Amino acid sequence: MRDRSLWIGFLLALGLGLSIALTQQPEVDPYKEAERQRELFRQTAGILPGELYAAQGEELFAQKRGPRNVSLEGCDFGLGPGKLEGALTQLPRYFADTRRVEDLETRIASCMVRLQGFRLEQIKRDDVKALSAYVASKSSEMPINVVPRTSQEIALYNLGRELWYHRAADRDMNCAICHDSYAGGKVRLSPVRSPRQGLSNEWPAYRFEADKLYTLQDRIAFCYESVGIAAPEFYSEPYIALSIYMLAEATKGKNKFTEMPGFTR
Amino acid sequence: MKKRYMFGLLAMLLAGLSLSQPSPFQQRVQQAIQSGGSKFAETMKQDPDQALCSQYRDKLPPELVGAFLERQRALIKYPANGKLLGDWKQGEALFINVRKGNCYACHTGDPKEAGAGNMGPGLVGYGQRGTSEAVVKYTYDKIFNAWATMPCSLMYRAGHHGILTPEETAHVTAFLLDRASPVNVQR
Repeated sequence: MRDRSLWIGFLLALGLGLSIALTQQPEVDPYKEAERQRELFRQTAGILPGELYAAQGEELFAQKRGPRNVSLEGCDFGLGPGKLEGALTQLPRYFADTRRVEDLETRIASCMVRLQGFRLEQIKRDDVKALSAYVASKSSEMPINVVPRTSQEIALYNLGRELWYHRAADRDMNCAICHDSYAGGKVRLSPVRSPRQGLSNEWPAYRFEADKLYTLQDRIAFCYESVGIAAPEFYSEPYIALSIYMLAEATKGKNKFTEMPGFTR
Repeated sequence: MKKRYMFGLLAMLLAGLSLSQPSPFQQRVQQAIQSGGSKFAETMKQDPDQALCSQYRDKLPPELVGAFLERQRALIKYPANGKLLGDWKQGEALFINVRKGNCYACHTGDPKEAGAGNMGPGLVGYGQRGTSEAVVKYTYDKIFNAWATMPCSLMYRAGHHGILTPEETAHVTAFLLDRASPVNVQR
């Protein structure tokens, strides 16, 4: 264990040194850099951090937990109870049992409430993140397939599109101004994609620059905070609306998920 | 006579109220924003022109442009000493600072700065324009309130929102226009 953390420390120092060295040059391809960092993890640790989160999620999924002492194997992500293969590809979607449109994280939380008997405020964010990584791992590299059909899904898609264009706060920002009008450009070194180009197809992902797992909600929260807007509370409607909007657009652009969980900067 | 006047006023008031009522969809949007919590909702509040840009997806119809620009121009404030060209060195620090100008996110400036974004036009050599009164004022105005020249521009209204004070805006103006600034030094 000590050995591993030493190794990781060494790698991070190496990565940091290299990334500083690399930022001195004008042309750094952030995608190639992520690929390189990923290979370094593979070679030295033998496992990717995202896979560790997924393994932790798998354990949580099968474990009998909560006041009712049951596992999450009865949780239906839209393809039937416990059916996880490809489940992420069709989320967010409407669920009759909760009578709301839910994304992956919200669905995990509502299953923990309905099946395991947790109260919403008892649910640990880290558990939801690990569980998200696990469920997502079963949709690795699959085509995104979010097509709003029910009136509830269409309503959330429309809400998401409205939030997408909502300019606010001191930086006068919205999502569209960078992720549509100037998609293909760069903010500092970060390439910016539009939903049609597949934005959102890598989450949940391990971000090597932050050394953390980010779910799609975490990533949206980060975006809001970086433009001076306080992040919405987790599992709230703005996340679900924006997710269904982005993923439905990504579907129109015929995009696939990356390796899941993703590995990115 | 007085009664009729009061009645008319009441009618106008009612008409005004019903016109300013948000549509059911807008009410639903507000409900969704509220569900994100009070901090989120607070920072998502819009001023009327932010709302207008959102409504028209950042492309205002031509008939609204004139009045929009006029409203935005009226928001520009100038330094008390009247000098729109400040100290380029202080301007450089503000240009870099992500909590202030954060200009490198989208623009090049000093060509030695690697990793500048490219969402905005490159500014290397911006000072070629000279420092006539018109150039200085245009540059100052653009930095203080980008929406006064380009409705719904991606560029935020740094001065209007108080991210840059009028004096600080003059410093950034100097960073772009001063012959000694790295933006303009020929290599």
